[in-house]
Amino acid sequence: MSVDYSKEFSVIEGRPTLAEVNDLIARPTETRPDRLYYIILTITVSMLLFGVVCLGFTFYYGIGEWGNNIPVGWGFGIVNFVFWVGIGHAGTLISAILFLLRQKWRNGIARFSEGMTIFAVMTAGLFPLIHVGRPWLAAYLFPYPNEHGVWVNFISPLVWDVFAVSTYLTVSLIFWYVGLIPDLANLRDRTTGKIKKLIYSVFSLGWRHSNRHWHHYEMVYLVLAGFATPLVLSVHTIVSFDFAVSVLPGWHSTIFPPYFVAGAVFSGFAMVQNVLIFVRKIFHYENIITIDTLEKMNKIMLLTGSMVGYSYAMEFFIAWYSGNPIEQFVFINRAFGPYAWAYWIMVTCNVISPQLFWFRKIRRTVPIMLIIGMFVNVGMWFERFVIVVTSLSRDFLPSSWHYFTPTWVDLGILTGSFGFFFTWLLLFIKTLPVVSIAEVKGVIEGAQVEHHIAEDSTAYRPRQQEDI
Amino acid sequence: MSLTNENFNYRIKEFPRSVSILGWGLLALGIILIVVSFFIDRTRSSFNILISFMFLMSIGLGSLFLVALEYVAGAVWSTPIRRVSEFLSTILFIIPVLAVPLYFSMHEVFHWSHSELLRQDAVLAGKSPYLNVPFFIIRTLVCFAIWLLFYILIVRNSEKQDELKSQAITTRNIRSSAVFMPVFAITITLAAIDWMMSLEPHWFSTIFGVYYFAGTILAALASATIAVVLFIRKGYFTNITEDHLYSLGALLFAFVNFWAYIAFSQYLLIWYANLPEETTWFLLRWQGSWKIVSIALIVIHFIVPYFGLLSQPSKMNPRRLMFMSVWILFAHLFDLYWLIMPTFSRTGVTLGWMEFAFPIAAVGLVIVFFTLKAKNTNIIPIGDPKLQRGLDFRL
Amino acid sequence: MDKNLLFAVTALFDTPGEIIHAARAVREAGYTNYDVNTPYPVHGMDSVMKLKPSTLSYVALVLGLTGAFAAIFFMWWVSAVNYPLVIGGKPYFSLPAFIPITFEVTVLLASIGTVVAMLFIYFKLPNNSYPLHDTDYMRSVSSDKFGIVIMARDPMFDEEKITALFKDMKAGSVASVYFDPDEIGTLHRAIDKRFLGFLAAVFIITAAATYFSLNYILYWQPFNWMAEQWKVTAQSKSTYYSDGFGMRMPVEGTVARGFMPFLYKGNQAAAAKYMANPLVASKEVLAKGQDKFNTFCSPCHGYFGKGDSRLRGQFPAPPSLQSEKVRNYKDGDIYYIITEGQNIMPSYAKQITREERWAIIHYIRALQRSQNAGGSEAK
Repeated sequence: MSVDYSKEFSVIEGRPTLAEVNDLIARPTETRPDRLYYIILTITVSMLLFGVVCLGFTFYYGIGEWGNNIPVGWGFGIVNFVFWVGIGHAGTLISAILFLLRQKWRNGIARFSEGMTIFAVMTAGLFPLIHVGRPWLAAYLFPYPNEHGVWVNFISPLVWDVFAVSTYLTVSLIFWYVGLIPDLANLRDRTTGKIKKLIYSVFSLGWRHSNRHWHHYEMVYLVLAGFATPLVLSVHTIVSFDFAVSVLPGWHSTIFPPYFVAGAVFSGFAMVQNVLIFVRKIFHYENIITIDTLEKMNKIMLLTGSMVGYSYAMEFFIAWYSGNPIEQFVFINRAFGPYAWAYWIMVTCNVISPQLFWFRKIRRTVPIMLIIGMFVNVGMWFERFVIVVTSLSRDFLPSSWHYFTPTWVDLGILTGSFGFFFTWLLLFIKTLPVVSIAEVKGVIEGAQVEHHIAEDSTAYRPRQQEDI
Repeated sequence: MSLTNENFNYRIKEFPRSVSILGWGLLALGIILIVVSFFIDRTRSSFNILISFMFLMSIGLGSLFLVALEYVAGAVWSTPIRRVSEFLSTILFIIPVLAVPLYFSMHEVFHWSHSELLRQDAVLAGKSPYLNVPFFIIRTLVCFAIWLLFYILIVRNSEKQDELKSQAITTRNIRSSAVFMPVFAITITLAAIDWMMSLEPHWFSTIFGVYYFAGTILAALASATIAVVLFIRKGYFTNITEDHLYSLGALLFAFVNFWAYIAFSQYLLIWYANLPEETTWFLLRWQGSWKIVSIALIVIHFIVPYFGLLSQPSKMNPRRLMFMSVWILFAHLFDLYWLIMPTFSRTGVTLGWMEFAFPIAAVGLVIVFFTLKAKNTNIIPIGDPKLQRGLDFRL
Repeated sequence: MDKNLLFAVTALFDTPGEIIHAARAVREAGYTNYDVNTPYPVHGMDSVMKLKPSTLSYVALVLGLTGAFAAIFFMWWVSAVNYPLVIGGKPYFSLPAFIPITFEVTVLLASIGTVVAMLFIYFKLPNNSYPLHDTDYMRSVSSDKFGIVIMARDPMFDEEKITALFKDMKAGSVASVYFDPDEIGTLHRAIDKRFLGFLAAVFIITAAATYFSLNYILYWQPFNWMAEQWKVTAQSKSTYYSDGFGMRMPVEGTVARGFMPFLYKGNQAAAAKYMANPLVASKEVLAKGQDKFNTFCSPCHGYFGKGDSRLRGQFPAPPSLQSEKVRNYKDGDIYYIITEGQNIMPSYAKQITREERWAIIHYIRALQRSQNAGGSEAK
């Protein structure tokens, strides 16, 4: 491989003009969906409806329809919750952290992954509600002055979760919407339909691409990115606190916060990568979401996958090092006990499969990376399963040990959650631009001027010489 | 600004003699004080040398990591100032030497090295396959060897590029740096566990390696920032703008937050679960006057740098950046003091001239190594293909 | 409907470089009411237009700090003042445990506040229409052109001069834009009736939804399998048992753990002989005895045991406890009478625990001594 490091490569290939990019990205929102779209939508809605039926069973007959038992009181409900919240982390990572790191390749995929964040967090938010068994009592989760004179327990990590997930959903929505404003204005100026025009006009808030607006807009975007970055870390950190503040071996481990965050980003990237591969193919976005972009995503998956592997190793080592026999038993039990199958699925998918991304060829081959991404998603789901179920099913009292087996209702709700997520995603890709039009235009080759042209002869001074 | 020979005649440069005098002076003063202190209180000196050893390791190893990170991430803004980190990573050569006195005072510092204790202490006996003197030495030597190997692979190679100007060198360095990443993660964890966590051999925390890593990067970034600002001030760097400084400042700010995040996670989980085998470590640091140190650590290591670097202009202002970098470097030293010293003096703080003598020597050592290295190496990687892009970098 | 009021002169360019030069030229010519419209933010334009750094970051700072302190204050008030409850052995005010929520509220308030400030102050929400909307100019800058516009309200405005200036710069197309001031006002419409009405509607709907969910939804019972189970609960009827009671009596002779039956039932003499007061007449025991005596005994026997019933003759007056007979009773006698009752006095075994009975006996003894002081005690 020979690369010229002295030149910066555009993240958008093929030197398209601004108008071409605009047409390409806006096209899906301006054309009628084809038959393939309806077929896929039918599938996802069916999955969703199946999930709804299972939920009906759950509410009518109670949580007893699930595989949960004593001592495994946290089963699929929590596993799925953590899985979906994790998926939601890639979006904010791409849109906020990579923005702060000025990674231009993020511009092509940020909007889409922000959308995925919102849908994934919405999906995740369902599970705690389902798991309480009586979701219509959810208002008690919030601290409000009630006639019982009782407040929520602010020392409980489950209440932290309520705050974290609802804040995350709100801030993600705001971030997403702020990013959408210029594109909605763009669609407003393109559309010919009257109703469409009205909707776009209302939601674009009178945007007129004015530089005096861009100026504040960019500041707000920076501030939002600055807040979203620690927020995204905090959310999965707090999810990890749900486990780690307890005294249960296998849950109580100080590395849980960064380990959960790394795992969340890992699974989120895998999901984004998987879906993007289809989106870029179907909508012909190969020049915007380039193979280089996918390669960079794969590199991040390699990085976060290795971080997850580091955490597994660290947990195992410290379990031995701690000298605590119960701690040691839990980890031996994970790897060689009744759930060894889940453990080794997890290790294979999460630690071993992304190591293939060391090879440039694999990083750049679409079918292989698609398969690895799917492996990662499976593996990350099993990671949560292993954490939740193995630690609970064999706790301190051997007489109460119990093997957990999911019921068809459990599996149905899991299926339904995928249906819910993908239904939203499908509606999104046909109604709104899945790639940020303004942001992509800004990184097309030649879109920005050389800095010495822009630097005003009077405004710019090489300031480093003064002030010192 | 284009590249001209005039701009890049960096080899012919003379640091003011005062710098090397300062460096050698601090080093000599420090060494004299250290020798005296060894005769007064050997145990205390050993603990102090451990602090300085870890401090220098933070700067050296962290700088090597920053160099590797630039290659792996493909960053360009840091290319013109990469040499600063490369020079700082030369300290890795002195670290094995500093480990020698620690070897001779192992029994004073590391409780677990007393093999006769194993019979009375079942927990320690269980750990003895890991915590024993021969294996400890093997691990240490392997870590040193790996770091020096990667120093040669990455930094030496980068210096060669000044003459050869070959792009292939960059490619090779990217590969070495990628391999270095996992190796670095493992070795720094081992170093943190061996040299600091095992001071309290009964205590354990899975996040400890990450905690030390956060401090390491802060120390390396802060030292690099100090050097960059000084170079700008003295006119060695003429093309570095405040956009470069902003990037350094933003990284410092990010890692201040990262450190706080890791430190808080570790504390919260142990505080909340309240398990006796874990809380001892924090209780020791909450005893007597250590309490003041613990609270001061939060202020020094997080609150002051956080608000000092929060605003956008403060990350670009060289004076502010210089002050905050010195502050953060001190904060890291303070952090190491908080990590290591309570094992020596369990009831309360020990703070005397000895605690200051060792950092004086360490700072002197860094200056001496830096100037020696900088004297016969370009302070800008003139052969690096990314250099022009780095100089043109704007936010 | 006069659509002829001049709003501005516009010019379009093809490349970002041209627009930078144009903006610089316009600024240097001394115009102040001008604007640049670009499909994406062109870097460097802010410094060319000499825009001051946005102050919105201060909004974020202030609101963030407000959120942080408000959250800590609220949690302190709830957990340490209004509803103090020990949870997991943690202090009422557990700062480490409050950090996560404090952080979330900080971020939430700062993010929402910054965006709302931008929308209201700079985007002039709820204003939506603008004279440039629906022009070819707007459609072009929305897509791929770079536009500059000088407003008619600029003090130096001169349509011809500006047109010439733009033409000089080789602008792609130069056009004047007109607007109807009745239709498109330039004032901020924050206190516009329709907007206030909209806000009021939002407020009412939110309030109604909150009221509904807190007062109705929380009391729903769509499915009540858990609340109403197929089992016999306390006090419920049962058709299975002949007596119709759901609750059963224990089997005859059942002895509850720690509650051996009274050994001397029907044998007062034995009780007097074998039972001794196990308690020491300490201050606490006497206080307890007084409390129980006043509750259970004094209605009939009187506060001082003189038999002066407070029942005002509605019930036969009981004997005095100060009599010679009672003073000569053994402790076991009194215990027996409290436990088993005597004459018309019922058994108090259900109301008064064994320990309390002994405490009462101590208190009765004290009463007796106080009312019949003599000999050494009188001194």
